Order: sequence, then C-alpha cells, then structure tokens
Amino acid sequence: MSKTEIETTAAAQGENPGRRRRSNNFTKKDRVVIAGLVGGPTILHVVFVWLPAIATILLSFCQWDGIGGLNNIHWVGFKNYTQIFTLYADFKIALRNNTLWLLWFGAIATPIGVILAYYIDKNLKGTKFYQTAFYLPMVLSLAVTGIIWDYIFKVNGFVNVIFGYTNPNTAPSWFGDPHKNIWVVLGIASWRHIGYMMLLYLAGMKSVDPSLREASAIDGAGEWYTFRKVIFPSLRPVNIIVVVVTVIEALRAFDLVYIINRGKNGLQVLAVAVYENILGESQRIGWGAALATILFVLCLGPIMVYLYQNFKKVD
Amino acid sequence: MSEIFEDGISRRSVIKGSVAGAGALAVGGLVGGATEAEAAPRSMTVSLGSNQSDPAAVKSDNAWLAAAKAAGFNIKLNRVDHNTFQNQITQYLQGTPDNVFNWFAGYRMQFFAAKGLATPINDVWAKIGSQFTAGYKNASKGLDGKYYFVPTGWYPWAVLYRKSVFAAAGVDASKIITWDDFLGACKVFQAKGLTPIALGDKGGWEAMGTFDIINMRTNGYKFHTDLTGGRVQWTDPRVAKVFANWKQLFPYQSKNPLDMNWDDATKLLLNKTAAMQLMGAFAASIFTDPKDLADLALFPFPQIDPAHGRDAVDAPIDGYMLSTSAAKNASASKALAAFIGSTAYATAISAVNPTQLWANSNMPKPTDPFAKSQVELAQSVKYIAQFFDRDSRPDFASPIFANALQSFLSGKDAASICKDLQNQWDALPPA
Repeated sequence: MSKTEIETTAAAQGENPGRRRRSNNFTKKDRVVIAGLVGGPTILHVVFVWLPAIATILLSFCQWDGIGGLNNIHWVGFKNYTQIFTLYADFKIALRNNTLWLLWFGAIATPIGVILAYYIDKNLKGTKFYQTAFYLPMVLSLAVTGIIWDYIFKVNGFVNVIFGYTNPNTAPSWFGDPHKNIWVVLGIASWRHIGYMMLLYLAGMKSVDPSLREASAIDGAGEWYTFRKVIFPSLRPVNIIVVVVTVIEALRAFDLVYIINRGKNGLQVLAVAVYENILGESQRIGWGAALATILFVLCLGPIMVYLYQNFKKVD
Repeated sequence: MSEIFEDGISRRSVIKGSVAGAGALAVGGLVGGATEAEAAPRSMTVSLGSNQSDPAAVKSDNAWLAAAKAAGFNIKLNRVDHNTFQNQITQYLQGTPDNVFNWFAGYRMQFFAAKGLATPINDVWAKIGSQFTAGYKNASKGLDGKYYFVPTGWYPWAVLYRKSVFAAAGVDASKIITWDDFLGACKVFQAKGLTPIALGDKGGWEAMGTFDIINMRTNGYKFHTDLTGGRVQWTDPRVAKVFANWKQLFPYQSKNPLDMNWDDATKLLLNKTAAMQLMGAFAASIFTDPKDLADLALFPFPQIDPAHGRDAVDAPIDGYMLSTSAAKNASASKALAAFIGSTAYATAISAVNPTQLWANSNMPKPTDPFAKSQVELAQSVKYIAQFFDRDSRPDFASPIFANALQSFLSGKDAASICKDLQNQWDALPPA
C-alpha cells in the first residue's frame, strides 16, 4: 500500500497544466493505449493488493486455524477485536511501542534528518563525505542492520567487551531489560531513518529556487527565519512524502526487533504479533487478521487525513 | 492427548527396556535394522526436511545421511534453521512438504496427525515394531490410534554441572536431594563468586524447562498434564506456588536471562563462571573438548514437596514423520522411515555423538558416563513428561506462555501473569 501512496503523490507532483491541456487531443488509438496502460496496473493492483486486504478484513471476523478448507472457518463477529483489546497481554505493549516509534521518528529522527540536510546543502567542506556517510545505513536492509547492532549491543557483544564487562551475568543488558530495550532499538532505527530523511530533504532543497533565498536575504531575513518561512514551505511535496514514509516505517517496524529477540520481551510490535499469529507453528488466522486490520487502519488513518488536507489546499 | 500423558509409567519402562535390549543385542547378534538397510532397493529418491541446523546437530545428521546413502537412498536434503522450521511447520506441511521430516513426539505430533497433515505408517511399524518397547509405540501413535511417528532419540532435562567446579567448592552433587540442600549449594557457589544457576531464556522456550520441573516437584506430574491440557486454571493457587518457589532461585540465577540463549548460558558452565544449569542433556554438545565433556555431569532437580519426591522428569522424544507428500512416494518414504527406525541410523550417529540416547531397544547400552547417567535418571523416575511446548497447545505454548515466562523473569508480578494467562487461554479457539 505504501508504494501506491507514494506513487499517487509522485503522480500528483508530475501533473502540470501543460499536460492537461493536451489531453483533449488524444486520438482513439491513444485512448485505447492509455486505457490499457492505466487499466492493466489497476487490475493487478486490485487483485494483488485490495482483494487480499479485503479478504484479511473479512477473515478478522472468524476463528480459523488455517488448516483444511474454508468450511472450517467459524464466524465470530467482533470477538477477536474485543479480546485483543481486553485480553491480549502483548497487544498493549506492541501498540505502545509502535506509537513510541512513530513519535520518536516524527519528533526526533526526522528533524535531525532535516538539520543534516540543511547543513549539507550549504556545501560545507567535505559535504560529499558526510552525505555518503549519513546515507550509508540506508543501503543496508533492516535485517542486516539488526544483525550488526545485535553484535554490538548483545550482552557479550562489542560494547560490553570494550568496557570490560566480559561476564554476561553481570554485564549491562541492552536488549534484555523490557523497560529500556525499546529505546536502544529506537536509536538503532534512527541511525538508518535519519539518513533516509536527510536524502529526501536534500533532494528537495536542491530544487528550491536560489532566487528565493536571495530575495529573502535582500529583505533582511535571518537564516532561521528564511528556513522556516521560505525554504521549508516550498518543500511541501517532500514533506508529504516524509510524513507518509515516517508513518509507514514506524508502523511496519518488524525486521529489527525480530532479528534482535524475535519481537519478545519489551520489543513487541504489531507486525510481529501479526506474523506470529498467522505464520507461527500454530495459526490463529482470524486473530492475526484482526491485528493486521488494526495495523491497516492505524497506517491508513493518519495518511489519508494528511493527504486529503494537503491536496485540498492545492485545489 | 490423554494417551500420551497416561502412558508416563510405561514410557519409563521404555527406557528400561532399551537398556535391557542392549544386552539382548550383545547375545543375540544383529537384529532388524542393518539387514533391512541392506535390503533397501538401490537409489530410492526421498526428500527430507531437516531441522538439525546447529553445528553439532549437522554433524550427527550428516553421519546418518551418509549411512542412508550407502544403503541406497538418494536423499534430497532440505535443511532449515531449527527455530524457523518449527515456526513455519503449518505452512510447510500444507505447501509442498518433503516426504519425511523431523518432528517431536507428544501433542505436538498428534495435532498435525489429527489435522490430516501426516501419512500414517502402520506398515512401517509392522517392520520395526519389535525394536521398540510399548511406551515408544504409544508415543508414536496419533489420537486415532494409528502410527505417525518414528522415534529416534531422547534426552532428559536435569541439573548440569562440572565435577571439577563442585569439587573445588566442596559440594557433593549426590547429597543435593532437597530444596534446602539445593539453596545451600547455591549459597556456597555464590560465596565463591560464581553464578550458582546459569539461565538463558532469550528464545522464550528455555525457561519452560525450569517451570515444568518446579511445577512437577511442587504439584506432581498429574498437575503438569492437567495444566498443559487446560484442565486446571492458571489462577489456581498451586500455580502461584510454582512461581513463588521459582522466585526463591532469583538471587542465584543469571541476572540477564533474557539477553542470553540457552547456549550462552551453557558456555558460562563451560568456562566455569556458573556452577549449574537446568537444561536438556543435549547441551553437552557445547562441551566439544573431550576433557570438558568428561567433566560434565548431571543430577536430578531437587525435591520440593516430599509427596512427589523426585518422581518426574521432562524427557522429550525426537523423531521423524511422513508428510502428505509421502503418499505419492510411498515405498521410498516408508523404506527411509524404516531405516530411521533401525539400528543402522542410530549406529551411524553414535559414532560421532556417543552421548546420544536411543529409542531403539537394540542399540547397545551407552558406555559414555554422561549418557549412562541420563539413562539412570530416566530409570529412577515414575513419570516422564515431554516438555511444556510438546504437551500443551501450540497456539498457547510459544506465542503466549513463552512471553509470560519472560515477563516473570523481568520482574512482573506472578499473580497478574497467571490472570493474563488464564484470560488468554480462555480466548483460544476450541482445540
């Protein structure tokens, strides 16, 4: 789904008045071609994205162990949802962690990315090096990131050994304490996210018309004021992408915690709960589908509201 | 489910039988296995799903695979990481499973048999049945009474220790009988600057062994089966007692259990920073140096309630099952199952792993002292349980109970854990 949202945004940016005017001059053949080009992907999208999504929502109202035919499905109404919200011990922790993840990315990681982009954009000495260094983590998949940081922070890992804690029984436990380990993980996730945000903003800033800066400088605006009132607003298309990406990254969090401790013991997140219940040794398809639906709504909600408001302003 | 539980006593005779059978082998000569293996037609192609992914396990696995190849099997091996294999088993068995695959005895096997995801192998048992005692036969049957499982090896859970560490601290393991003896020994080791009890529970399943044994010592074997089967409530005060007893071990236990896997904890035993570890005897595979292995020993977990003494132990049975795909390749798959049940399989692995214990009665009595002590332990008890995650529902043990034990180890209040557990048990769909 994430991809579509981004595509929609990208398409929206690509539109310009020139194109629109020309659309009236299409021949019949052009229309067939366009219908094919638009229709084909749409059908694929509906079949491979929306139908499974709707099926998931339907399955969330059932009890099914995933074995045997569909006749083994028992429909239970909203029971899965009420039980998840009232009884499922891990759900509260998972929800808290995903919320923390979102807030942390939104309030800390993304702003740091913006600041880095701002300074790199000023073409300081060695700017190419910094740019590469900050973006490098993004080249690695989150799973690889997890393996690297697991070696660094595990109880008999790099950090503890460097500081002389060689006995794992008494060494500080970075991943073992369920009240603290989420912060370590957020730090690790930021390591990767910051570079990503930096690159997106850097691309945006490069495309800001230099005359805007000049004009505001001539009018006597300070650096901070220029950034706040001139540059940042002109980055609106980038901001939309960044908000969407941040929400999605925060809510789909999976690889990192799964590599570290299979998303248990304080590192529960919704995506792991979905995975464990649908793909674990025992399957609770309905229960897992209900969790997936909750995640879906959480993802979709803020993104739709944000996109709707932004495009309303454009029109 | 009850069948597996209620044959606890007979399973004890299984193990006794396997030792007695060893004598028979010495006198009677070669029985079954090897001859069958030789009779296998040339180049029978079978696909095999293996979960033997740890280095030591790979070594054992390769040993019997070589023997099977020599016996004429052409095995297409699909080796998967141990934990991943278990996690994906349901998809695996419904997709395009290998003909023969690694699995566990207990409710965990009967569940898939009942769902129609396994091929019954009564005809295989007609060939190999004489080599197994009644307890193993019962443990290999599904709830419908048909055979679905070929048992290979087993191991008990016990308190592992190094003889040299105990000697240096002046502690006599054979005198640790009661709970007070045990706590006393813990104090001695702590005073010596050692961690008395190494515990790793990062994987989530390891601490189930500790829960099981404290539960069986506190409340008895019957209560274990009632609890894993859902016939008593988690809010029962007897469950609270188990957690309360466990809590007494907290000062002596590893401080970072949730940051260590079982093998991390075993390594503490190996490098002598910890004195004891309650673990499956398979942990001996960490002791790769023969000198270290000779120093490794075990004793049964101490008695808590004299009414139950030390009369029960977790001793899970491992083995193989045939998937639904085996029906299309029946003769080769069943021939391989018979080979796995034979002494040829066990002999090949014994050559590289002398501490392994066998289900097959015709295998010689182990000569390795550590293996011997495992057999003695199993013979000394009245009841043999599988393990929490093999005796209980799969949708409860791993996704719910494992997480609850981790929260207990990180200091969460036992009463609220028990309440959560019961609520979540009640929310499970009917089995």
